[in-house]
Amino acid sequence: MRGRMNAGLLVGGVLVGLVVLAAAVSFFWTPHDPTLVDAARKLRQPGGGYLLGADKFGRDTFSQIMVGARTTLYVGIVAVGIAAVIGTPLGMIAGMTPRGWLSELIMRVNDLVFAFPALLLAVMLGAVYGPGTLTAMIAIGVATVPAFARVARAATLQVMVTDYILAARAAGRRRPAIAMRHVLPNIGSVLIVQASVSFAIAILAEAALSFLGFGTRPPTPSWGRMLQESQELLFSTPRLALWPGLAIALAVLGFNLLGDGLRDYLDPKLRRVRAES
Amino acid sequence: MTLYLVKRLAVLVASTAVAGVAVFAFMALLPGDPAEVALGVNATPDAVAALRKQFGTDRPPVVQFFDWFGGLLHGDFGTSYVTSSPIGPQISDRLGVTAVLVLGGMLVALVIAVPLGTFAAVHHRNPLGAAISALSQVGIAIPAFLAGILLVFVFAVQAQALPSGGYVPIVEDPAQWLLSLLLPWLSLGLVQGAVLTRYVRSAVLDVMREDYLRTARAKGRGSTGALWRHGLRNASIPVVTVLGLQLATLLIGAVVVERVFVIPGLGDLLLNGVAGRDLLLVQGVVMVLVAAVLLINFVVDVAYRVLDPRLR
Amino acid sequence: MRRIGIWIAAGGLLLGTAACGGTSSGGGSAGTPKTQALSVGFVAEPANLDFTSTEGAAIPQALLVNVYEGLVKLDQDGKIVPLLAEKWEVSPDRKTYTFSLRKDVKFSSGAPFTADDVAFSLDRVKTDWKLKIKAQLDVVDKVEKKDDSTAVVTLKKPSNGFLYSMATRLGAMFSRTGIADLANKPVGTGPYTLGSWRRGDSIQLNANASYWGTKPPLSSITLKYFKDATAMNNALLTGGIDVISAVQAPESLQQFADPNRFQTVEGTTNGEVVLSMNNSRPPFNDKKARQAVRYAIDHKALLETAWAGRGQLIGSMVPPTDPWYEDRTGDYPYDPAKAKELLGGKTLNVKMRIPNLPYAVASAQVVKSQLAQVGITADIEPLEFPARWLDVVFKQGDYDLSIINHVEPRDMGIFADKSYYFRYDNPEFGKLLASADEGTEQQQTDDLKKAAKLLSDDAAADWLFLFPNLIVAKKGVTGLPKNAIAESFDFTALSKQQ
Repeated sequence: MRGRMNAGLLVGGVLVGLVVLAAAVSFFWTPHDPTLVDAARKLRQPGGGYLLGADKFGRDTFSQIMVGARTTLYVGIVAVGIAAVIGTPLGMIAGMTPRGWLSELIMRVNDLVFAFPALLLAVMLGAVYGPGTLTAMIAIGVATVPAFARVARAATLQVMVTDYILAARAAGRRRPAIAMRHVLPNIGSVLIVQASVSFAIAILAEAALSFLGFGTRPPTPSWGRMLQESQELLFSTPRLALWPGLAIALAVLGFNLLGDGLRDYLDPKLRRVRAES
Repeated sequence: MTLYLVKRLAVLVASTAVAGVAVFAFMALLPGDPAEVALGVNATPDAVAALRKQFGTDRPPVVQFFDWFGGLLHGDFGTSYVTSSPIGPQISDRLGVTAVLVLGGMLVALVIAVPLGTFAAVHHRNPLGAAISALSQVGIAIPAFLAGILLVFVFAVQAQALPSGGYVPIVEDPAQWLLSLLLPWLSLGLVQGAVLTRYVRSAVLDVMREDYLRTARAKGRGSTGALWRHGLRNASIPVVTVLGLQLATLLIGAVVVERVFVIPGLGDLLLNGVAGRDLLLVQGVVMVLVAAVLLINFVVDVAYRVLDPRLR
Repeated sequence: MRRIGIWIAAGGLLLGTAACGGTSSGGGSAGTPKTQALSVGFVAEPANLDFTSTEGAAIPQALLVNVYEGLVKLDQDGKIVPLLAEKWEVSPDRKTYTFSLRKDVKFSSGAPFTADDVAFSLDRVKTDWKLKIKAQLDVVDKVEKKDDSTAVVTLKKPSNGFLYSMATRLGAMFSRTGIADLANKPVGTGPYTLGSWRRGDSIQLNANASYWGTKPPLSSITLKYFKDATAMNNALLTGGIDVISAVQAPESLQQFADPNRFQTVEGTTNGEVVLSMNNSRPPFNDKKARQAVRYAIDHKALLETAWAGRGQLIGSMVPPTDPWYEDRTGDYPYDPAKAKELLGGKTLNVKMRIPNLPYAVASAQVVKSQLAQVGITADIEPLEFPARWLDVVFKQGDYDLSIINHVEPRDMGIFADKSYYFRYDNPEFGKLLASADEGTEQQQTDDLKKAAKLLSDDAAADWLFLFPNLIVAKKGVTGLPKNAIAESFDFTALSKQQ
C-alpha cells in the first residue's frame, strides 16, 4: 500500500488546499473589506459582486469567509505548533527511556494535563487575560500536548527496537545524537499524521470557543463567531449560518481525511500506533 | 492484578492532589481581591479588611489551600464570595444534570455506532459500507453546538414537536424531563456516534482478520454468526478504551450544549461563575470536572486490564 | 454480563442524583390549570438578592415594586405617585417631607409596617448600604417617627432629587426583623413574595396572599434567565415562556410577526447607550479628539445595523421621558471630513474595552468601522460583564473607549463625579446640577437643559442611541409596561386572558 494515492488523501488534500488558498489570497485581495460596515448593504442578497450576500452589518460574507480561513489556519498552526514542540521531545524522552523514572513522571504529568481539556483551559485563561485568539491558541495548544507526547512515545518505542538503532547504540552513539539522527526522522510520518488530526480538533475547539465568546475578538472574522452572530437571523436569513457552518465542517473534514490518507500513504502499519495511543 | 490496582489507585490520588494544587494556584493568580470585588467601587479599606477576614483570604495561600482541599474531601466546597451561599450543594445539583446529559449522549452514540460500525466493517468492500464510513467522517466534522442549533431549528421551532431548551427535573414531571433532554442528547450523541462508528469499524475489521474467524468461516459457518459469537467481545476491548476517552470529551462538549439548550448543568455554572467572577465557584467546578476526567481514565485503564486477558 | 449490570447500576445512581437535584417548579413545566401562572424571560440573573450591597440592575428589576415597596413609585409616564405613603406634605422651605403612611400594610413575615421601619430603612442606607448611588440620599439630615403612621424626613437643603430617589431602590422599605439574609430571603410589603430560586435557571415569585392593595391577578410569576438571546427567542416560539422582557436580538423580531400568536410592545427606556471616552488620558483628554469621534459616527446607520433601527437618537444624557429633554442630535451631525480636520491629519490607536453584551458587541463593530474612516484605529476587547468590565473599565478606568447602556434613571449626575469612569471634570457642570437640585421645579428644568447641552458641547462622551423597550409576548398577555423607565419590571398588572 505504501506510496499509493487514495481517495481520502485526494479529497482531504483538495479541501485543505482550498482553505489555505482562501487564506493566502485574502492577504492580497478580498472582494470587499470584510469588516467595513455599510447600512446600505444590510442583509444584501447574494449576487452583483456579493457572491454570498452580506450580513446585518452589510459586511460581505464571502470576504469574511476568506479572512476567517486565515483565523482558522492561524489558530491551528500555532496550537499544533505548541503541542508538537512541547509534546514531541517529551514523548521521545519517555520512549527512549521506557523504564526510567523520568519517563514515568512525564507520562503521569501528561495524564494530568489531559484532564484539563482545551475548553476548560481557555475559559480559565480567558478569565485571567481576557478572551482572544491568543489565549484560545495557547489553551488549545497546551491541551493537545498529551496527544503528541503519547503518539511520539509509542512510535519511539517501536523505532528503538529496530536494528539500526541497536547498531547505533552498540557503536556508542550518545542518546541525543540517536534521537536527532535516527529517531526523529523515523517517527516524522506519525507526527505529521497526528498534526493533521490535531489540526481538525483545533478548528472545532476554536469554533466552540468563539461561539461561547472566549475566542477571536470582533470584528476579526472567525467562522465560529460568524455562526454565533448569525443565530438571531436563522429564520429570516439562514444562509448566514449556512456558509460558516459549511466552512467549518469542510475544513475539519479536510484535515481528518488528509490525516487518515497520509497514514495509509506513508505507512499502513502506523494505524496500530494511533489506535493504541 | 491487585498490585496493579493499588499502583493505579495511588497514581489517581496523587494526580488529583496535584490537579488541586494546579487549579488553586491558577485561581490565586487571578487579578482582583474577592473582598474588593464584592464590596464594589467605593468600599472603605476597613470594610475590605473585615470582609477579607470573613472570607479567610487574609491567611497565607498555603493555609487557604489546605483549608479548601481538606474541605473538598468531605464535600465542602466553601461559601461563594459573591452569592454567599454554599457551593457544594450547587455543584451536586448541577453535576446530576450534566451526568444525565453526558450518559444519555453516550447511549445515543453507542446505539448509532455499534450497529453502523459493525455493518460498515462486515461490508467494508461494498459501496454501502464505504458510504457509512464517509458519512461518519462528515459527522465528525460537525461541531456539536451547530448540530444543536440545527436540531432546535427543525424539531422545536419548525415542527413544534420538542421544547427548544430548558430543563425539567424528573421528580416534577418525568415526561417533560425526557422531552427536554431529547434534543441535547441527540446533538451530543450524533457527533460522538460518528467518531465512535469509526473506532467500532476498525476494531471489528481487526477482529475479522483473526484466525479463529477465518476458521469459523472455513468450517462453513456464516461470518456474521461467527462474528456475533466470538468477535464482538474481542472487538469491545479497544472500543471500551475509546468510550472512556469519549466520556471525557462529552463532559466538555456538554458545556457548550448546555449553553445552546439553556440547561442548568455544570458548564452553565462554570460560565456564570467566570462572568460573575465567583472564583471559589469556578475553582470548585473546574476541580470537579478535572477529577471526573481523572476518574474516568482510571476506570478505563482498569477496565482495559480486566477485558484483555493478555494483560492479566 | 455481570459487568453490564454494574454499568447500569452506576447509571441509575447518577440518575437518582439528578432527580434529587431539582428543588422547585420551573418555567417550562405545565402548571395545574387552576392557578394562573406566567413566565417571563430575562437576560441577567442576579448573583444574589441583596440590592443594598450588590451593584447592577438585575436585582431591583426583579424585586422592586414586586417584592419590596417604597413610600412612592414611578408610574408609566415618569410621574411620582403614592405607594406605601397615602400622601405627603412638603414644608414651604422644601426641606421637610411629612409622609402619611398606609395603616393596613404588613410585611410578608407578618410584621406590621410603621414609621419605625421608614426610619430604619433610610438610616440603613447611610450606615449599611455599599452602593455608590447611596450618595443620592446624603442630603437626608434625619428621619423621625411622629406617630406609627407618620414619618418626617428632614433634608440638609432643598432637593428635587430626593423624592425621585425615594422611588428607586434607595427608598425600598425593609422590616427590622427581615434583614438577616438579604441575599437569599427578601422580606418586603409587595404583591409578590419570593417562592423559590433555582440558580442558573429561574426565580419564582408567588402572589402575596396578605397583600394590602389590589391582589395581583396571577398566582405566580417565573422569571426565567437566559444568557443567550436566541435561546430566549426559541423559548417564546415554542411556548417555554410567555414574555420576553427585553428583546436582545431585534433583528429576530420578524419571527414574532404573526398577530394571532404574538404581540410586540415598543416604548422607551432610561437607557442611554453611551460611547464613553476616557476624558483623563490621551488621546481623549483632548476635546478636539472627542469631538472628532462624535462627528465621525453616523448614528442613524449605526442604529440601523447594530440594533435593527429600533431605538431613538438622543445626542445627550437625557431620555425623552424626562421633563428637561431636548433633542441634541443636531450638535454633532455626521461629518467625517470635519472629524479628520479636528484630528489635524493625525491617526489614533485606541483601546475599546466593552462588556460582552449583544448591543455593545454589535455597536462596537460599527463604531470601529466608522472610526477607521477618519483615521482612528480602535482595538475591540470584550470583557465579561459584569465582573471584569466593572473591574477594568469602571473601577480602574483603564480604557479609551467603551460602550455601555446606562440604565439608571435620571443619571446625568454621574458626569459630575470626576472619579466616575468618564473622568469628566468640568466644575461648571457640577454647579448647574447643584443649583438644579436646590431650585424650584422650573429652575431645575432650565438648569438641567443647560447641563445636557454642556455635556454635549464638551463631547464628554458620545450618545449612540436610546435603548428601546422591546417586549414580545404571547397574544392575550395584558398589563405589559410600555416604557421601562423605572428600575423594576412592574409585574403588578400583569395578567393573561384565558
